[in-house]
Amino acid sequence: MRASVNRPPTPDVGDTQEKQPTLEEIINIKFIESGEKERLMELLRERLIECGWKDEMKALCRAFVKKKGRNNVTVDDLVHLITPKGRASIPDSIKAELLQRIRTFLVSAAL
Amino acid sequence: MSGFNEDNMGSHAQLSSQFFGDLLDSIIVDVASECHRIARLGLDRNLEEEEEELRLSAQARVRVADPSNSGEANSKYVVDIFGQTHPPVANEIFDCMNCGRSIMAGRFAPHLEKCMGKGRKARLKVTRSSTAVQNRYSQGSPVSTYSPYSNSTSTSRLSNGTSSGAGEEYSNGTFQEP
Repeated sequence: MRASVNRPPTPDVGDTQEKQPTLEEIINIKFIESGEKERLMELLRERLIECGWKDEMKALCRAFVKKKGRNNVTVDDLVHLITPKGRASIPDSIKAELLQRIRTFLVSAAL
Repeated sequence: MSGFNEDNMGSHAQLSSQFFGDLLDSIIVDVASECHRIARLGLDRNLEEEEEELRLSAQARVRVADPSNSGEANSKYVVDIFGQTHPPVANEIFDCMNCGRSIMAGRFAPHLEKCMGKGRKARLKVTRSSTAVQNRYSQGSPVSTYSPYSNSTSTSRLSNGTSSGAGEEYSNGTFQEP
């Protein structure tokens, strides 16, 4: 049979089949759909403001901006600046609280 | 079952940590974005004020160190507190209310001297006008068309200064003592 010259080949069924979503993705979807992710995010934000973590990060940013000049700073710069220090300076109590809530949710979602 | 539970717990812990890490990353990006916005928009007043003060103090230091700016010696080019310089001669131009000419402000006083007072020509100009004050210095005639170049002798003009009467009339050429 003569195939049309201009028509692109129809993709095989195998190519269009989606891969199985990973466990991670499933959990993420469950968290988002139930609204738990939003609640956890707000909780974490509130705790980090209360304990002064956010102010510490802002002070780091301000110092960096002052040194580099306020028009020479990118979001990327600041993210790379804050990430290591931010992750390391999370108070243990806050981390424990959040992990507890996440685990509870995972159990309740029967994962 | 317990093995299954342990596995579950293990993977739960790992998943939880992972998920917690995601939450934290999102919050970090938010904070960075907020700080970036504040920096670029110049909303951080303290930062700006410090920059401004640094710049002003550097400027002031330069000005103090520069010897050509000191004191009254160079007052022609000195800068006042508003940053304005004034030229040594006032150069605004306006019209003289006496003779109607365009005069430069810095030259107005010398011009007035010539225009109103001390010169021979000035005095002639003045006597031609009809104001009461100036009539005292003329030969007493109230007529506006009075001509100073009358046929009377020059001595009568000299006596004008000493005459006390305001409206004394003089006939042609005769000279009367008060």
